[in-house]
Amino acid sequence: MADAAVPTAARTPDYNEDVVRKFVIASVFWGVVAFLVGVYIATELAWPQFNLGLSFINFGRLRPVHTSAAIFAFGGSALLGTSFYVVQRTCRARLFGGEALANFVFWGYQFFIVMAALSYVMGFSQSQEYAEPQWHIDLWLTIVWGAYAVIFIGTLMKREEPHIYVANWFYLAFILTIAVLHIGNNLALPISVFSADAYQVAAGVQNAMIQWWYGHNAVGFFLTAGFLGMMYYFIPKAANRPVYSYRLSIVHFWSLIFLYIWAGPHHLHWTALPDWTQTLGMAFSVMLWMPSWGGMINGLMTLSGAWDKLRTDPALRFSVTAVGFYGIATFEGPVMSIRDVNALSHYTDWTIGHVHSGALGWVAFISFGALYYLVPVLWHRSGMYSTRLISWHYWIATLGIVFYISSMWVAGIMQGLMWRAYDQFGFLQYSFAESVVAVHPYYVIRMIGGLLFLTGALMMAYNMIRTVRGPTAARDTAPPLLATVAGE
Amino acid sequence: MDIEPSDLIIGLMMIAFGLIGLLLAAGAWDNEMYVFGLSLSGFAAVFVLGLIRRHFDKQAARGRHG
Repeated sequence: MADAAVPTAARTPDYNEDVVRKFVIASVFWGVVAFLVGVYIATELAWPQFNLGLSFINFGRLRPVHTSAAIFAFGGSALLGTSFYVVQRTCRARLFGGEALANFVFWGYQFFIVMAALSYVMGFSQSQEYAEPQWHIDLWLTIVWGAYAVIFIGTLMKREEPHIYVANWFYLAFILTIAVLHIGNNLALPISVFSADAYQVAAGVQNAMIQWWYGHNAVGFFLTAGFLGMMYYFIPKAANRPVYSYRLSIVHFWSLIFLYIWAGPHHLHWTALPDWTQTLGMAFSVMLWMPSWGGMINGLMTLSGAWDKLRTDPALRFSVTAVGFYGIATFEGPVMSIRDVNALSHYTDWTIGHVHSGALGWVAFISFGALYYLVPVLWHRSGMYSTRLISWHYWIATLGIVFYISSMWVAGIMQGLMWRAYDQFGFLQYSFAESVVAVHPYYVIRMIGGLLFLTGALMMAYNMIRTVRGPTAARDTAPPLLATVAGE
Repeated sequence: MDIEPSDLIIGLMMIAFGLIGLLLAAGAWDNEMYVFGLSLSGFAAVFVLGLIRRHFDKQAARGRHG
């Protein structure tokens, strides 16, 4: 926490904001790309003729472009950018490693994204969900991620604040665990150093187990822990209130990271994986409900005494709604991990709806809240170009999510019930094609939901461009009010 | 010549990556490795040019401010 004896402004170091600005721009750009590709592949699912007979834009190749653009490009850029911003402010130290290392992480990460997307549309993939890039691209990401870890940990080590603020704990867990997961899941033997093809070290069910240890913890540590770091910094800052319970945030951290790492096997219910492993995954997934909701309550209660701000600050509304969606998704997840529920939900669009309530409602909304906070601060503007546009963005995006997840719930449960229905003679009552026809209207509704979400993102991009091009505000040299709310 | 250590280390690293990219492209067995190798060498070259530009921009700025 800030030392009260020394005025804040008097000893503010020269922070590296240039790299944060770059990541903010990249995040907005990749967000629009991810949502656009998502809408296109949703259109392909509703009307397959949109494949246009071109191999490089068929669903199989564009789907990983969409997921990688959403998770790694949009979400990753938001995480790397905000982590660099938060670690500098809360440690009162400039980024470790100089400008060149920070720029290497930024451009190296963008290079990884472009190379991965290019390889997918060219038809190259190692066929592991959320880990599609081939070995050489994985190796490149390992180098970039290592440099990122050096900067973050180096900045923590040279901090001028005795305390490490809780947001940094979450960011650190995200950085270290993703490094371990990425390396563990991508261990492979290339057939030649000059070939993109490689043999995975693990095969069969062991490979599936490692893949979902990685896959679920990509959700846990990339899409949850990292964004919780964002929540613990930007909600207190935007609300101008300290975290509701700092002790709860620490309990939240340790319980979440201990429990999450065991939950992966719930992706492999009713498979060749041993029963006890499936049960273990299920039990830890159900237990995860507690830390998740503890964190949600902590985030929401931080608004205590400041709820009125939601009327006037639509950016804060994004952050708070994100916490609500975090609660919804982390309730639904444990329910779906129960083996008997999973028997109905697995392989259906219910899973897709669940993922998107987390990805759109939690990840994208908490990022939007942080981006709307950061843009005026980083470009030294008095505020965003249009608050009304933020409000429009909020309502259009929320409506889009509602369309998306409700249609997928209906479609998914319908699929599950149709696939398991037997007639009086013990034969399957419906063919697979009949279930495809039945869900068509919901695929159209899903596409409309995605279109609404994309429209909102375009409004955000326009609002940010106008803000950046607008007049510069006079720089405030006075110490910020309540500077200690988020560890500063 | 007062070069910042991080500029020097990253610059040397990028030169190495650029050469590796050229080797990968030259010996590539498939389109993916060919595209990756060429892109890596191009990326490294542009990054090093950026480092050099930044270095002289900073030097010029220091000169202007005495």
